[in-house]
Amino acid sequence: MKNKRQRQQALEGYAFILPGVIYILVILGYPLVYNVILSLKNTNVKNFAKGTSAFIGMQNYSNLFKDPTFLLVFKNTFIFTIACLIVQFSLGFLFAILFSKDFRIAGPIRGLVLVGYMMPMSVTAMLGKNMFGVSEGVINDLLLKIGLVSSPVEWLVSSKTALGAVIAVNCWVGIPFNMLLLTAGLTNISQDILDSASVDGARPFQRFWYITLPLMKSSILAVLMLGFIYTFKAFDLMFIMTSGGPLNSTDVLGTYAYNLSFTKYEFSQGSAAALVLFVCLFVVGLFYLKLITREDD
Amino acid sequence: MKKKLVSLMVITTMMATMLAGCGSSAGTGETSEPEAVVNVEDEATAESAKPSDGIPEVTVWHYFEHEADALNKVADEYNASQDKIKVTCTFVSREELMNQYTIGAVSGELPDIGMVDSPDMSSYIALGVFEDITDELNAWGELDNFYEGPLSSCKDADGRIYGLPNNSNCLALLCNMDILSAHGYDAPPTTWDEFYEIAKACTDSADSVYGFAMSAISNEEGTFQLIPWIYSAGASVADLGSAEAVHAVDFLGKLVDEGIMSKEVINWGQGDALNAFAAGKAAMLESGTWQISQIDSGDVTLSTDNYKFALLPKDKKNASVIGGENFGVCSGTQYRDECIDFLKYMMTAQHNADWCEIAGKLAVRSDAATLKDFWTADERYAVFNDSMNYAVARGPHPEWPTISEALYTAEQSVLIGESDAATAMKAAAEKVAPILEANPIAQ
Repeated sequence: MKNKRQRQQALEGYAFILPGVIYILVILGYPLVYNVILSLKNTNVKNFAKGTSAFIGMQNYSNLFKDPTFLLVFKNTFIFTIACLIVQFSLGFLFAILFSKDFRIAGPIRGLVLVGYMMPMSVTAMLGKNMFGVSEGVINDLLLKIGLVSSPVEWLVSSKTALGAVIAVNCWVGIPFNMLLLTAGLTNISQDILDSASVDGARPFQRFWYITLPLMKSSILAVLMLGFIYTFKAFDLMFIMTSGGPLNSTDVLGTYAYNLSFTKYEFSQGSAAALVLFVCLFVVGLFYLKLITREDD
Repeated sequence: MKKKLVSLMVITTMMATMLAGCGSSAGTGETSEPEAVVNVEDEATAESAKPSDGIPEVTVWHYFEHEADALNKVADEYNASQDKIKVTCTFVSREELMNQYTIGAVSGELPDIGMVDSPDMSSYIALGVFEDITDELNAWGELDNFYEGPLSSCKDADGRIYGLPNNSNCLALLCNMDILSAHGYDAPPTTWDEFYEIAKACTDSADSVYGFAMSAISNEEGTFQLIPWIYSAGASVADLGSAEAVHAVDFLGKLVDEGIMSKEVINWGQGDALNAFAAGKAAMLESGTWQISQIDSGDVTLSTDNYKFALLPKDKKNASVIGGENFGVCSGTQYRDECIDFLKYMMTAQHNADWCEIAGKLAVRSDAATLKDFWTADERYAVFNDSMNYAVARGPHPEWPTISEALYTAEQSVLIGESDAATAMKAAAEKVAPILEANPIAQ
């Protein structure tokens, strides 16, 4: 009797999660599986309509890792992501702490900082393209006036500096994003704990290191992981600012996979590149999962 | 355990959404008109045939902007002339349109009639986006009136025809005569030597005025603007490693090295280059036919009214490059015959001439070119009309995008000084040779 009821309850439970499961399978599972299958074939513009594409196993993946351009793109993606994460997170954290202090213009300034985050990425990219212009750009103008450089820096037209310029623009968007999430984490820390620590003689740095940081651990992890995902899959910024150039110096996995599939119609090769992107993010996700579950246990 | 499972699912979902988002944001990021995307989806779901007034609707996708009125006019006239179908034209931004064709090749969700940039047509034919309408067009009996260059871009390697060219454009040299005459030059240059001399004289680095501006961006626009130089030097896409091709790219590299052309051209589309010229920051510009109507309509305001078009300067021979749009009937339409009928209607000599006059383009039919005189009476159009005689087509080749990439990459690496012209062009030739060997350009 009890068994039957239990089963009924279980059934109800499954019924409730059914829409979610169907959603995941149809909307996410299918494209993913399709992508995996496509990446194991040799589908391209020549054989697509004829339907003569064949399975070629891991050939596309080995092609990718033999291609110097892909290796450069892979490297770019990691440099871009890690550099952005470091700058965004540290400045974002600094701003979060600063603006969580109660002073008169904290609110308005916090709002202003958010403008970068609220702007559509395409607009930001256009702005970045203009600001980093060699002869007309405001950044060179400023650097020249201050006297930091003696001749204009060739920001987006040199393969040595272009990635740096793109990173700077992305940080402009990323800092407020980090600040926002970390502020939420900060406000969750009870002022009482900090006050009692003060009473016990803890200095500001000690309060930060031994109280604020540990209590912020889960917010910090979430911010870092989300930041990693958002940054790693960057696309629009490079697409508009530099089209991945000059000479692939700002090409990242997102733009590289897009170009393979939608510009050169190398569908299978493009799928393989997109899957590499996916796997990288998946690994980070698993890592995050492990960290938070350990914490919960 | 269960909790882990749920978290795992959540994370998978997040990642997959990001991955999916990566693809779909592609077009929206680029397009200047986000509404266009919404439009596409509406049209795609309502695909074909939603009878209004009992007449089936046939959709045409295009990326015409200032030319859209001319297209709508033809469609309205056609709709009034018959009651079998109602033709509706929908604007989709160019980048998004390309993506939709590629996606449509898989999903089958295509418009009834689609417009495409001529060098891309070959790839879409290979992808099965367009219907083979050779027999119907042959029966029409008017194909002989079309210029060979534009028409060839509608054919596959076997000569089957998948659409009709709608208009042509090509490139010429636009000169700011105020700047030229200030330096003692009364006429645009005709040879590379003269061009170099004038460009150098007009360069004023203190005032950030360059002698010349063009687009060398890493996409098809960059290739489009590079091709005339390569052909003028006596080379072709089939022999990129030749001394002539190296000479052409080396020449452009020299312009940048000597500060005659801004290094920023590697990030400039043709619109950006025009803006630089319009602002008086470049004495000469590699300019396209469509830019005349941009100037006339006030989209772009030039810093001077004293400007002049001329043929691009020549090295060994005159050269230019053909651009333009084609229209094809998309695979899977329920109204194949009606669509072909509309294409034929739109592309009669009279309609082609009318259309080109409104849109400011060059006709694709020899018998249309004689119907109007603005191509010869307006001296600006006359230059482009003349330039068409020397203009070469890109491809047609289904792997043109890969060839194109090899070209603009080589050019960029020379312009930014990463490699010398000989090395860069050798690398390009090595990429292009196997493609052309397996599948030569059909001409």
